[in-house]
Amino acid sequence: MSALRFERVWFGYGETPVLRDVSFDVRAGEAAALLGRNGAGKTTLTKLVVALLHPERGSVRVGDRTTEGRAPEHLAHQVAYVFQHPDQQLFARTVEAEVAYAPRLLHRGAPETDRRVGEALEWVGLEAMRDEHPYDLPAAQRKLVTLAAAIAQRPRVMVLDEPTQGLDRAGARRVADVVRRLTDERVAVLAVTHDVTFMAEALERALVLSEGEIAFDGPSADLVGDEGRASDLGLDVPSAAQLSAALGLPKRPIRVAAVAAALAEHLEAPRA
Amino acid sequence: MTIALDKVRYRYPAADADALREITLAFGPGGVTLVTGRLGAGCSTLLLVAAGLAPHVTGGVRSGSVVTLGVDPASSEGRRQVAGRIGYLLPTPWTQLSGMSHTVREEVAFGPANLGWPRDRIARAVHGAMALVGIESLADRDPRTLSGGELQRAMLAGVTAMDPEVLLLDEPTLELDPEGARMVYRLLPVLARERTVVLATTDVDRAVDVAARVVLLDRGSVMADGTPDEVLATDGAVALGCSTTIAHIARVAGCVAPFPLTVRDAVRRFAR
Amino acid sequence: MSLGYRPGSGVLHRAHPFTVLSLAGAVAVLAFTLPAPIGPLLLTGGLIVIAMAAGVPRTLLTALAFAAPFWVFLILIHIVFGDSPDTAITVGSQITAMLVVFLMALAAVHPGRLVDAWLERAVPFHLAYLLVATLQSVPELQRRAAAILDAQRCRGLRVRGTVWGRVRSVVPLAVPLVLGALNEVDERALALEARGTSSGQRRTPLDPPPDRLAERVTRWLMLVAVLGTITWRIVG
Repeated sequence: MSALRFERVWFGYGETPVLRDVSFDVRAGEAAALLGRNGAGKTTLTKLVVALLHPERGSVRVGDRTTEGRAPEHLAHQVAYVFQHPDQQLFARTVEAEVAYAPRLLHRGAPETDRRVGEALEWVGLEAMRDEHPYDLPAAQRKLVTLAAAIAQRPRVMVLDEPTQGLDRAGARRVADVVRRLTDERVAVLAVTHDVTFMAEALERALVLSEGEIAFDGPSADLVGDEGRASDLGLDVPSAAQLSAALGLPKRPIRVAAVAAALAEHLEAPRA
Repeated sequence: MTIALDKVRYRYPAADADALREITLAFGPGGVTLVTGRLGAGCSTLLLVAAGLAPHVTGGVRSGSVVTLGVDPASSEGRRQVAGRIGYLLPTPWTQLSGMSHTVREEVAFGPANLGWPRDRIARAVHGAMALVGIESLADRDPRTLSGGELQRAMLAGVTAMDPEVLLLDEPTLELDPEGARMVYRLLPVLARERTVVLATTDVDRAVDVAARVVLLDRGSVMADGTPDEVLATDGAVALGCSTTIAHIARVAGCVAPFPLTVRDAVRRFAR
Repeated sequence: MSLGYRPGSGVLHRAHPFTVLSLAGAVAVLAFTLPAPIGPLLLTGGLIVIAMAAGVPRTLLTALAFAAPFWVFLILIHIVFGDSPDTAITVGSQITAMLVVFLMALAAVHPGRLVDAWLERAVPFHLAYLLVATLQSVPELQRRAAAILDAQRCRGLRVRGTVWGRVRSVVPLAVPLVLGALNEVDERALALEARGTSSGQRRTPLDPPPDRLAERVTRWLMLVAVLGTITWRIVG
């Protein structure tokens, strides 16, 4: 069943349409990347998901209801949105209180809230920071705090805006782990990203927006495996996938661990 | 050498540990120097200290000697001497907007005007910088309406318009889409021919293609300093998570150092 | 509804920044010195005509929207106490005139031109910049506040509802606004410093606005009007 469905959505600011006739759906337990050049309409699309914007034509459906006539606060138990820049939402005196904010607002009881907060902090690896003031943490960790806050919302749909931006490799790997755990729990994930390595690791599906239209919708491995198409769409091919293609590794793996395993076999195989 | 640091220690105000410890390094023109490390290793701080912005603007305590363009750039006499001669770019473009401009052209002219240049020289410098960065088509746009990536390129033009002898770039492609990032990386070696260009980033996969020299920092100290192969192809760099994805894959696949750093290196070594 | 500079080519946009600021200053005084209620009422009417002629109807609407609740309140008071409507008209017109002229000045004076104009009069750059940056921070704070509201609503914050609910929603909205701005101050300081603001050189005005004779005369006339009405008030 689709957790999120766009049906022939049009949207524009003023005269010029930003999204033209956009249709796609993301199933429960599926993780999709939303890619495209700066200004292609990605942020507009994600704002439509959380009902910060509403389509001019067409419909956006979250679960079994459209967003028509609904506001973000009505959807907060179903959809969570991790904004690109953490400083537009952090306000609490401790990391723990920050993460507990949404479960409390959504009227979860204290034991339930505590459980969710503990779990979310464990997922992002910030258990040791629970009593810190969020603004005392470096920017990369503040970003993980907002991710934990969204996890604690226990949404059915998780929207991530550039979740690995400003993180180093260890941080990006942490976010990829979180996405895999979300999809294991049947959450639908939609992640706006320029980071194709992160996509290859964690997002099996790719949607590419180009001038307000869906220019590609399919497995991210297909996008990454086709260098010509990727560069037409203004995208990079992750270096692991480039190596996989250049060496002709069997089954053309794109994830780092899989490429390493295939390379090990490639090196052990007797020379032809 | 245009920048010389000798036994430099630096501590931010209210911090309980040094951000830089006993740093002795020199930088000069001819080739991009990449400064990298895990987040919090001190890469950004190193740029601030070299520019004199730390401790002059940030506060905190510095010891050891810093000589940039012949003066201590943090002294009040040094500030005047280096004004406009050290270009410094922050990762977030919107905090760098002068707030006085209604067009990108005016924004790019902000720096040169502050140097008191005659108007015709400013006009030439602005035109040249916008052409160099490829943003002529944005010249009449309101900077506040640009996307993050467009804005960051405008800020790069604003810095290069002052024709600085030293360019210090802190994660300059953070807000850019892949095409914008490629454009910046193409530009850096050109700028580095006659200028001192120091690039601080964790995006080693891209930066390795343009770096002539790499400085690897860990916890405020220099771990290694040399050519990309000398610094990044080692077990230590890969184990720290600071080398390229390809080197990481090779190490996981059981190869021994020196690891290949790029797809091209790897193909040369592993192709059958 | 956005406060702050909007590009345009009307009479106020073309005018020298000092003329527009003088107009704002003169209105602020005249609203209280002209004979009430007819003076403030005519002043408001005149400003509305100027706003229409200057091609800033949206700013006018914003100002009127801000003024509307005051009018409602003043009319209610008038009905309750049943005195002459003069007080309501006077105070209402004064508030409206001030709102219209200040929002209009904010919308029509390009910050860069204002700084250039000050530089031409040998005002130090740092002082000019500080004044302009303060004006400019209004639309910037508006944008930030909107972004924060978006983020917190996505976490379930209800902005409508009981009074207690609204009071409680102030913290998650106000704290990021203040802390975020403080966090950014350091970065802004770095960025400004790196762009040659402490070069010790006199900054080049990029596009110093022409100051025509007619405008200088207009400013003098406004000054005469202001001083004239003040004198009339004191003597009369």
